[in-house]
Amino acid sequence: MSNSEHLANVMVQCFIDAVNNGVDLVPVVADSTSTSKIKPFVEAFPDRLVNVGIAEQVMVGTAAGLALAGKVAVTCNAAPFLISRSNEQVKVDVCYNNTNVKLFGLNSGASYGPLASTHHSIDDISVMRGFGNIQIFAPGCPVECKQIIDYAIQHEGPVYIRMDGKALPVLHDAEFQFTAGEPSLLREGQQVVICALGSVVHEAVAAADKLKEDGMDVAVVNVSSIRPLNRQSLANQLNDARHVVSVEEHNVNGGLGSVVAELMSEQGIAAKLVRLGVEDGGYAAAGDRPYTRKMLSIDSAGIVKVCQQLINETSM
Amino acid sequence: MNPFQLDVDELEKKARSIRRKIIRLNADSPAGGHTGADLSQVEIVTSLYFRLLNCAPDRLSDDDRDIYIQSKGHAAGGYYCCLAEAGYFPEDWLPSYQHNDSHLPGHPVRQKTPGVELNTGALGHGLPVAVGLALAAKRDGRSRKVYVLTGDGELAEGSNWEAALVASHYQLDNLIVINDKNKLQLAGPTETIMKTDPLDPKWQAFGFSVTQCDGNDVASIVSTLEGLKAEGKPNVVIANTTKGAGVSFIAGRPEWHHRVPKGEEIDLALKELADV
Repeated sequence: MSNSEHLANVMVQCFIDAVNNGVDLVPVVADSTSTSKIKPFVEAFPDRLVNVGIAEQVMVGTAAGLALAGKVAVTCNAAPFLISRSNEQVKVDVCYNNTNVKLFGLNSGASYGPLASTHHSIDDISVMRGFGNIQIFAPGCPVECKQIIDYAIQHEGPVYIRMDGKALPVLHDAEFQFTAGEPSLLREGQQVVICALGSVVHEAVAAADKLKEDGMDVAVVNVSSIRPLNRQSLANQLNDARHVVSVEEHNVNGGLGSVVAELMSEQGIAAKLVRLGVEDGGYAAAGDRPYTRKMLSIDSAGIVKVCQQLINETSM
Repeated sequence: MNPFQLDVDELEKKARSIRRKIIRLNADSPAGGHTGADLSQVEIVTSLYFRLLNCAPDRLSDDDRDIYIQSKGHAAGGYYCCLAEAGYFPEDWLPSYQHNDSHLPGHPVRQKTPGVELNTGALGHGLPVAVGLALAAKRDGRSRKVYVLTGDGELAEGSNWEAALVASHYQLDNLIVINDKNKLQLAGPTETIMKTDPLDPKWQAFGFSVTQCDGNDVASIVSTLEGLKAEGKPNVVIANTTKGAGVSFIAGRPEWHHRVPKGEEIDLALKELADV
């Protein structure tokens, strides 16, 4: 694997490997063949793909039917249309019926940048957390992405995987072993603990490294597994923190910011929490990635600034 | 093979027995029921479960069994009475319909009720899932047929027409859609609430082979369904029914969409439904 790779390419290779290993996997797309970069799969297995046209409701319903017939059905399309257009099919046909469907929310968050809010999915984690049965993951790098997808394919039951839409560098080394439910500690530190998921984990790591150069000690915890979540493992990372910052390209309500706030409250962790992401009632800005992230203070410079302020408050 | 293979006279008798169960089940319900919708579909589900479906209570894991999907999930009561009559679960479960922690909730739940293939209740979900099941059967070379029962008011849900496109595109001639066309929905006549007629040209334009039958006449249903051909097109059967069919004071009355028999209505209905 090269050092930087688009997660959709990782996904398609996992599908090819699965079929080669005897898994009866069927991708279902809604005209989203280019979005999902599925061409190598179609070349390898010309008769497997199901394309239902621009029709997300029947994409998910069909996937549920294929799963009831014994297939491992994987849907691949843009996250905003999956989440909003086929919301009830996800709730009823996948979650409530507990069908063996894996939903890939492609180009999630503000990956589509300038295409504006119709194309942004800043609510997918909160929506999925409201549904029963479904497991929820957001990989932050190609190595982790492969392991999450391999896990999802062998797991019997509904899974949602939030996929970023840009090539991402490798964060985890070759020894990394993904375990569903376990957050991974990417940087150690005492003064602030940053919790992040998905592609903004890279912003958090860059921020922690910059702060370290300036003599500050900031941890980064990658919370790629939203459900299941080993709450004790995450609490262990936060117990001794003076400050906690959550970072997500998602609404702070219902996403990682909420997960962390709920956990801290329930575990009696008294640190101050700052939740970075799309603010309450807001949208992500239409613009390129650096601009959008800057507006939300979820770029590395914004995270650095927030951490510096928190540390300065303590020392005053 | 269907384990019963009843003839028309026997099917009519079975339908009366199921109707009597529907009256008692709804009368025992603590949370109302959809008596009218339960009754309009009786001949359809009776013909399927006692003659046409290649399925049996001891074959629910058989990958070649036919699948029936109750897309009009609000008629769960009528569906349960048919499943109980066919031996999918004990008849003494029926009085627990809609009681707390029952095997028989107000809409079908496959995890709770043997024989139920899909959790429905939100409308417009059966057909898309049936498309997936039929497509899988085609690709796997299985003989399975997939039947879906929808209401006619339900056809206002756009997901049905998304699924119709896909069924036709993939030439799913192992898929049979049955429209229980009882012409009434929650708020009143389908004609005035949201006209889904004319159905024939709509389905034809979507690439379906269209047939009509009398949906409250087992002879008409059986001859129509047994006459369907698998020639590269999905089939739809428009079953013309009367909501509340079989009981004079329920038939064709919109208020019985979500009403159950009470007091002397129970005996009156059962008397009308007695075997001659």
